[in-house]
Amino acid sequence: MSRISYNSKALGLYLHIPFCASKCGYCDFYSLTDDARRKDYVAALLQHLREYGKVCSGYTVDTVYLGGGTPSCLGPKYLTRILNEVKGCFRLAEDAEITVECNPESTDKKLLDALKKSGVNRLSLGVQSADDNELARIGRIHTFEEAKAAVELARERGFDNISLDLMYGLPEQTKQGFLHSVRQVLDLMPEHLSCYGLKLEPTTKMGRENPVLPEDDEQAEMYLAMCEMLRESGFEHYEISNFAKPGRRSRHNCKYWDLSEYLGLGPGAHSYMNGRRFEFARDLKAYIGGENIVQDEDEVATYQRQGEYLMLRLRTAEGIDFIDLEKRYNIDSTPYEEAFRALLGRGLVAHQGTRWFLTEEGFLVSNSIINCIIEAGQPNIDTNT
Amino acid sequence: MSNRNHIRNFSIIAHIDHGKSTLADRLLEQCEAVSQREMEEQLLDNMDLERERGITIKARAVRMEYKADDGEVYEMNLIDTPGHVDFNYEVSRSLAACEGALLVVDAAQGIEAQTLGNTYLALDHDLEVVPVVNKIDLPAADPARVKQEIEDIIGIPAEDAPEISAKMGINIRAVLERIVKEIPSPEGDEGAPLRALIFDSQYDPYKGVIVYMRLMDGRIAPGMKVRMMATGAEFQVIECGYMQPLGLSPQKGLSAGEVGYFTASIKNVADTHVGDTVTEAERPTTEALPGYRPAQPMVYCGIYTEDGSKYPDLRDALEKLQLNDAALSFEPESSVALGFGFRCGFLGMLHMEVIQERLEREFDLDLVTTLPSVIYQIVKTDGTTVFCDNPHDYPDPVLIEEAREPFVNASIMTPQEFVGNIMPMCQDRRGIFKDMKYLDSSLVELHYEMPTNEIIYDFFDALKARTKGYASLDYEMSDYRKSDLVKVDMLLNSEQVDALSFIAHREKAYGRARRICEKLKENIPRQLFEVPIQAAIGGKVIARETVKAMRKDVLAKCYGGDITRKKKLLEKQKEGKKKMRSLGTVQVPTEAFMAVLKLDEE
Repeated sequence: MSRISYNSKALGLYLHIPFCASKCGYCDFYSLTDDARRKDYVAALLQHLREYGKVCSGYTVDTVYLGGGTPSCLGPKYLTRILNEVKGCFRLAEDAEITVECNPESTDKKLLDALKKSGVNRLSLGVQSADDNELARIGRIHTFEEAKAAVELARERGFDNISLDLMYGLPEQTKQGFLHSVRQVLDLMPEHLSCYGLKLEPTTKMGRENPVLPEDDEQAEMYLAMCEMLRESGFEHYEISNFAKPGRRSRHNCKYWDLSEYLGLGPGAHSYMNGRRFEFARDLKAYIGGENIVQDEDEVATYQRQGEYLMLRLRTAEGIDFIDLEKRYNIDSTPYEEAFRALLGRGLVAHQGTRWFLTEEGFLVSNSIINCIIEAGQPNIDTNT
Repeated sequence: MSNRNHIRNFSIIAHIDHGKSTLADRLLEQCEAVSQREMEEQLLDNMDLERERGITIKARAVRMEYKADDGEVYEMNLIDTPGHVDFNYEVSRSLAACEGALLVVDAAQGIEAQTLGNTYLALDHDLEVVPVVNKIDLPAADPARVKQEIEDIIGIPAEDAPEISAKMGINIRAVLERIVKEIPSPEGDEGAPLRALIFDSQYDPYKGVIVYMRLMDGRIAPGMKVRMMATGAEFQVIECGYMQPLGLSPQKGLSAGEVGYFTASIKNVADTHVGDTVTEAERPTTEALPGYRPAQPMVYCGIYTEDGSKYPDLRDALEKLQLNDAALSFEPESSVALGFGFRCGFLGMLHMEVIQERLEREFDLDLVTTLPSVIYQIVKTDGTTVFCDNPHDYPDPVLIEEAREPFVNASIMTPQEFVGNIMPMCQDRRGIFKDMKYLDSSLVELHYEMPTNEIIYDFFDALKARTKGYASLDYEMSDYRKSDLVKVDMLLNSEQVDALSFIAHREKAYGRARRICEKLKENIPRQLFEVPIQAAIGGKVIARETVKAMRKDVLAKCYGGDITRKKKLLEKQKEGKKKMRSLGTVQVPTEAFMAVLKLDEE
């Protein structure tokens, strides 16, 4: 596998591990707590890797991401098996970023050593909060001390690129309490932070319980204060919910925001290849049975790609450069630019030359802004058709 | 059949829900005027809306034949009446066509407001009122108490009132027997010139207008040339006859005392005013029947479609409704905020609501309406006088010499104990107390002069609320009086929203402006920037609220699988936006206009 193909395109590879030790109250990702099916699942995933490896022979995989669910709860044996299969079936770039999501309760020395040996060079750990009461309230099964221990252990076993997850807008959370969590998490010296506002999804336990969350204004204050604190600690705010030390951005996740290609395998995993978006159904049994469960297959129309591009790029700190946009889609970007100009002076958007981007205040209301921008450029296009 | 002694013309007076329609159905059944199979529940109310609201909007009449215990066959004409103060005039015309009325009272609930008002209307027309106690099948039924109540409150003997259950079909025949025995047969001179009272009309696409009438004198027959005395319009009768539950029954002719219809290729209901007298063109009567009053719109409002492109549909719909409703008037207008629409005139608020609902239901239109207004009279400094029912046309204050607003003479009938509740309410609405008359030991009639715009919005509902539903209201346009009027403009983000402007008495303007600001604040979603809401008279701001800027509208996660979801979310938001009106830079949901309109209902 040393020769690079003449026409090598980069590809991100996402593998979904739909298992967890227990289900968190807010999570609506596809995941089960059924231990018995892990073996069959891994076999099916390996089979799938082999099939898609053949189809993707022209690609070079430069990022691999094992997400879930909780990949770490699969244990060292299965994870090693999966990662070896990836190496065997796909052409992997030498400097490929390989990330595995871990939860504190299933992160031990054995697992970390196995991951390290399999070439994993980035860990993403779900910490969520430094307040044990908050952790319990949202259904996490670890304490902050355990999370802290897991991070320290990972350091000790040689991981130098660690991302931590945090949440804000939790029930009963105050701005002060949240910032205290941020500070505690910063003390763990992560290279990367993902910080998500809690969203109640109707199909989740918390969605059904529908607890009172902090007011929008309070949440906005939490977010802005956190942004400031992280900036002061040397983090770049490169996407709405993502912060990285210089050079430590998630290369895999960045693919989602610049319309690069990625292949996602496993039930509930999404792919975007050759202008097509598709998903493997959230059905573990059918997946194991090898059924054809591709769904939501959707050739993205050209005008929709512009919309997607705007929608995704505006999530990033770079935002959108109209010279790029015009070249990419052969369009006149004037209406988009006018829509941006109309928002200037409200502190929501800013620009440097032809590059326009949202401010942190703007990120907070990005749905409305993005809609407003997309509409300006495509007033007469009905996106349903 | 035209033996006058065997004719009985009657209507039914009842409170909503006290079983008027059900009783009507049972009477028809008993007379076998309609077979069980053909019988649709509540046959008389044949508009969907009526059935749903349980109210009768347009009068209908039906003839049935009843073979009485005395062996004779009687011609029974049931004339249905609408039941709301907006339609008081229609009620009075329907009653004028009868010699008697059934007073239906719920055996559990007793007498209620409408019953009282309409009963007095019936007594005013010298009708024989026959009480009937309905719903005796209810567990809470107490017929004896209710009969006593009828005697005490209305003062008519009720001891022998039939105790019935229209729902269960109990004792229906007794009602018919009472009608035969108690209600007098009609009088009238068959040989005299034709005099017929129009109590309703309806447009039929094949026959033109069908005129429903009661013949007082003379005869009518196909081929006869008739004249409408109020409008002067003349027509040749093509068909005449009487109404059966399931259609018309053409006859060779009708004569004095009978209730029936005629058609004469009449294109427009506007030629057939309710209350007008039909006479023979060749041999006209010298004297029209008393009590005619042309239908006069009292309330105006702008009606628009939510989707601006539906404007032509709205016009078609209004034209169709007008065929049947001479009291409805409309003309095109346009608004910066709402686009193209119509300025429509109505008899009152219920009439307005009914029309709006029929537009939405029968024509599948989504409407946005503006605040209703009465017609103001403005004397300008140049000496000219203009009428103004639209804030948009209100002259600049410096050009106004004198502003006048319409007043009505209102009469409120109420049991004495509620007088204390009613008087402050009337005062608060700038009513001028005229007098109070005792009708009997417990029933009182209050007379007020009131500004029309104080009475049209919610006065009737408020009155009912303060009198446990016992009071009744009637009002009549009286005159225009000098008034301290102001035009209040509403501004969103410093831009005037023409559709929300209103004219009010200065004293009332502040409170109203403040409440509108509050309502708008509640109903305008947070936007990307702060939106000030202001009410202003001239350039002076009198009320202000602020919709704070939106702080959070963000999808936290957007990775592989979230992209499709996010696209759907954005599309949903976009759909939601279609229901918004763009007013300058502000997005206003149509519900905000509705909420302002419903301001007075709280």
